Amino acid sequence: METSALTRRSFTGLGLGAAVATASGGVLAQAGPTPSTASDRPAPLTSAPVSQAGLGPRLTLHAIDNFHGTPAAGMVCDLAWREGDSLTPIKTVTTGLNGRPAEPLLTDAALRPGHYELLLHVGAYFAARGVSLPSPNFLDRVPIRFRIRDAGQRHHLPVLFTPWGYSYYRGS
Amino acid sequence: MAGISTHVLDTDRGRPAAGIRIDFSVLDGETWRLVKSVVTNADGRTDQPILAPNEAKVGQYQLAFHVDDYFRDRAGTAETDIFIDSPVVRFAIFDPAQHYHVPMLCAPGSFTTYRGS
Repeated sequence: METSALTRRSFTGLGLGAAVATASGGVLAQAGPTPSTASDRPAPLTSAPVSQAGLGPRLTLHAIDNFHGTPAAGMVCDLAWREGDSLTPIKTVTTGLNGRPAEPLLTDAALRPGHYELLLHVGAYFAARGVSLPSPNFLDRVPIRFRIRDAGQRHHLPVLFTPWGYSYYRGS
Repeated sequence: MAGISTHVLDTDRGRPAAGIRIDFSVLDGETWRLVKSVVTNADGRTDQPILAPNEAKVGQYQLAFHVDDYFRDRAGTAETDIFIDSPVVRFAIFDPAQHYHVPMLCAPGSFTTYRGS
């Protein structure tokens, strides 16, 4: 018990905690604004993440197959402009080995404020990988609806999915 | 129990999302036909099942969650932070004897759904 408590405390002391504690004393200070020391530095690079830092406005996709624990390679995705339930196709892309299409979905002037739908062909993807699914399978073509409000910003769209569920969010 | 049910949770605040309109539709040929609209109660659920056990059939179904108004009306949310946009979930009943619980977890910038129980 005592050993682990000391270990935890010394970890804190080496990191953000030390600066905060010195500045304004004690644990309460950690509820305040995040100090800009360690958090501003990028984490050590690995092969997986692709930094978007410094790039112009763009919409990028990263599809992760949480069933196999791999990037989702070879999944067809239809991008459309959406007005209510009316869709205007923009393009169809296929994800590469890293779970990303070869090019951003949209860049610069093509990235306009508005409502978008990205239709993921999840059923076909898992069928192609030989996953045994019920018929009809629970998820087949999955619509991802999102809104771009400021076309001057980068928008990253990670999508995590299995045959039984999915998640997406505004990434970075 | 068979049929369809849902549960909407605001994972940004860690509480049920009350007062969210959900449009429930069935795929009829090539068009989505609205079956009914319901509103989540204080527990983030619907007072009645979305689809009763005796009405369950093999087919394609859709739940449209009108979260935009919910986030917009929620105190302390900047409209510019709302990224998810009238999300819809489309799924199949492949065995009418089974129950399909389809929860929806949302925050202004994220959306999750899955087959629950």
